Amino acid sequence: MATEPRPGDRPDAGPRNAPVFVFQVISGVGLLVLLGLHMVAQHFIVPTGLRFYADVIEWLRNPVMIVLEVAFLVFVTYHALVGVRAILFDFGFSERTERRITLVMWVVGIVTIVYGVALFAAILGAA
Amino acid sequence: MASTPVGRGRPATGPARRRGILGWFDPRGRRLGGLAFILNRLTGLGLVVYLYLHLMILSMLVQGPNAWDDFVDIALSPPFLALDVLLLTGMLIHGLNGIRVGLVGLGFVASRQKALFIAALVIAAVVALVGALRIFGGE
Repeated sequence: MATEPRPGDRPDAGPRNAPVFVFQVISGVGLLVLLGLHMVAQHFIVPTGLRFYADVIEWLRNPVMIVLEVAFLVFVTYHALVGVRAILFDFGFSERTERRITLVMWVVGIVTIVYGVALFAAILGAA
Repeated sequence: MASTPVGRGRPATGPARRRGILGWFDPRGRRLGGLAFILNRLTGLGLVVYLYLHLMILSMLVQGPNAWDDFVDIALSPPFLALDVLLLTGMLIHGLNGIRVGLVGLGFVASRQKALFIAALVIAAVVALVGALRIFGGE
């Protein structure tokens, strides 16, 4: 019979998904650092909690911050889509469908990252 | 673990197979680990939605200072600040519970996972409370 996941069960347990789980943990740890930096820099040290336009542009003109924000985008996109993939895999689709889901997640991830980077460029270009 | 073969003989585990997505909201018969599992996924899905919402909102920066600064004024209103608290709470639960899942999944402190989950929730609640006071207090 189907069973409740036991405490500690991995989101997508199984030998085939073991490397995915390890990468998910690594990206999660990376996110903790990058999200912490993002929250502090973009919200906690800003008196109003959100940067107004001029402050955003000044922030984005710093190359170090751009690198950190793009790294954050890559980590968060990867972590999010692997999580969505794990949830979809829970439905017990065929292996063929699972491969298609993985492919779709890769496409969505790449589009998201390209969109995010293009957005940074467009914001700076419009300023 | 006895299981019904699903899709080339793979075991049928996971709440979605057992009760469907709506089953995630059904607390009956769940152990603490099961609740942690569901909580991690619900907060994760919420954060995925927020990620794409956030990217859409950031696109307003391309429209120039008027569009963005008007949005900031709206975002600093109490209803939006309440959503910020909800977001912060979701991030804390997902992040702290994620650390627990990572540690246990990699074979560390498996015998302490229930205590870790409770600790994660307590820490999340305390930090969310402090965050809420700061968000609404403006200091």
